[in-house]
Amino acid sequence: MSFPNTVAAEIRKTATLPATMVALAVAVLGPVAITLINAVGVRAALRSGRPELTAYTSPVEAVFSAVPIGTVGAVVLGVVAVSAEYTANRANIGGGRQITTTLTATPGRLGVLAGKAIAVSLLVAVAALVAIPASLALADKIIGGYAPPTPDGVLSRSVGAGIYWMLTALTALAVTVFTRNGIAPIIVLVVNSSLVSVSVLLSHLTPLARFLPDLAGMSMFAGDLLAFDEALAPLPGGLVMATWTAGLLVLAGAVFRWRDA
Amino acid sequence: MVGMLSVERLVKRRGSREILTDVTFRAAPGRVTGLLGPNGAGKSSTLRILLGLDRADAGTALVDGRPYRRLRQPLRTVGSMLDGSGAHRSRTARNHLTWMARSNHIPTRRVAEVLDQVGLGAVGGTRVGRFSYGMCQRLGLAAALLGEPRALVLDEPVNGLDPEGIRWIRGLLRGHADAGGTVLLSSHLISEVDQIADDLVVIAHGRVVAAGPTGEVTAGYPTLEDAFFALTGPTAGGR
Repeated sequence: MSFPNTVAAEIRKTATLPATMVALAVAVLGPVAITLINAVGVRAALRSGRPELTAYTSPVEAVFSAVPIGTVGAVVLGVVAVSAEYTANRANIGGGRQITTTLTATPGRLGVLAGKAIAVSLLVAVAALVAIPASLALADKIIGGYAPPTPDGVLSRSVGAGIYWMLTALTALAVTVFTRNGIAPIIVLVVNSSLVSVSVLLSHLTPLARFLPDLAGMSMFAGDLLAFDEALAPLPGGLVMATWTAGLLVLAGAVFRWRDA
Repeated sequence: MVGMLSVERLVKRRGSREILTDVTFRAAPGRVTGLLGPNGAGKSSTLRILLGLDRADAGTALVDGRPYRRLRQPLRTVGSMLDGSGAHRSRTARNHLTWMARSNHIPTRRVAEVLDQVGLGAVGGTRVGRFSYGMCQRLGLAAALLGEPRALVLDEPVNGLDPEGIRWIRGLLRGHADAGGTVLLSSHLISEVDQIADDLVVIAHGRVVAAGPTGEVTAGYPTLEDAFFALTGPTAGGR
């Protein structure tokens, strides 16, 4: 009875935060922009008859190699949904943080956290539903007639990419519950998902790295782009990442419930 | 009684330090109860426990006999204000109150009503980060009034208000109590509490050193200020 109210309030609260707009813009425009760059490169290589210049020649791969940049938007979204609660106002206007308002309005900690997780998941889903089809259409338009036949599994990989973003956002949300400040989680998770993945580095040392959350999850969309022989299949990979995420959320719930506001 | 706030033998520790020791008092409907004490005496800690924000190490804090965390739509029972606006600085006042209303199934029309009531009707679309201290306090008060609660719990409500604002809030709180509501406010400002409180709870070093109707607490002293310093000062006979 009161949980739908909590969810509705959290959706409104998260969606109307200016930082959320920035995160959604990154999640949508980032992949589209990288797809554009990738696709133009592929077209040039194909036009000049030297397909060996690119790692792939399919418009689909031009899109899925751009997916990691959208993860940055997902990370920001997950982080700010929690960190905004703990942003302190200036002391000379009375200080204070939104978390006191949130928890006096909804004292049930687990309800608040679940509401936030639902709000973040929905927003990421919206971003994925716009970004991935738009990127696929763009790549197809640019590479067009030069393209090899479309490979199988584009739909399942697209869904996998959306789920990957969603699980990454929820991981960011859970981690920010521990830190109560967005700066460290944003830096670590953005670098890990856009520049250097610690898991990918570790995969050169041990095949066990395939069970780390991001590397496991990438198998949902990366296909042959993942230069790692022992990678999990998409479904087990997704389940492994989801298990990590669920575990972190449970821990975050326990901490959030036990800790003073 | 509806709107009764009762705090019983609260103990709170931070690390090894005991910041509240056996804090006990009541705030009754129809009365303004002033929680008076120096900075760091434990006023805010007590109110945070009463509002379910922090946990007590021992004792109970109840609203109508129930812990705050058990209230289904708490904003309709207890309106509260702690530390300024309680809003994120990038939100507008209206946006802040709207998500709050949504969380407790409060009709959206209340948002405009309380903004007008606290004198922020014209700046509902302004970001909270651009508000003055006084405007933040008014927004915090609007949030407290949003659910038309029987009880109001306010931490240092007059901080940052100009003289006109102080006069206005005094009238508002008096009116709320006269209409049968409960008002519990904390302050370190003796004269403010003296002017408005029917009942006093004087707190120092985490202990209640005096409690009762204002007349009784100040009996034997020329003024509340004399009583306050006698009760809370370094030479006070606090238990």
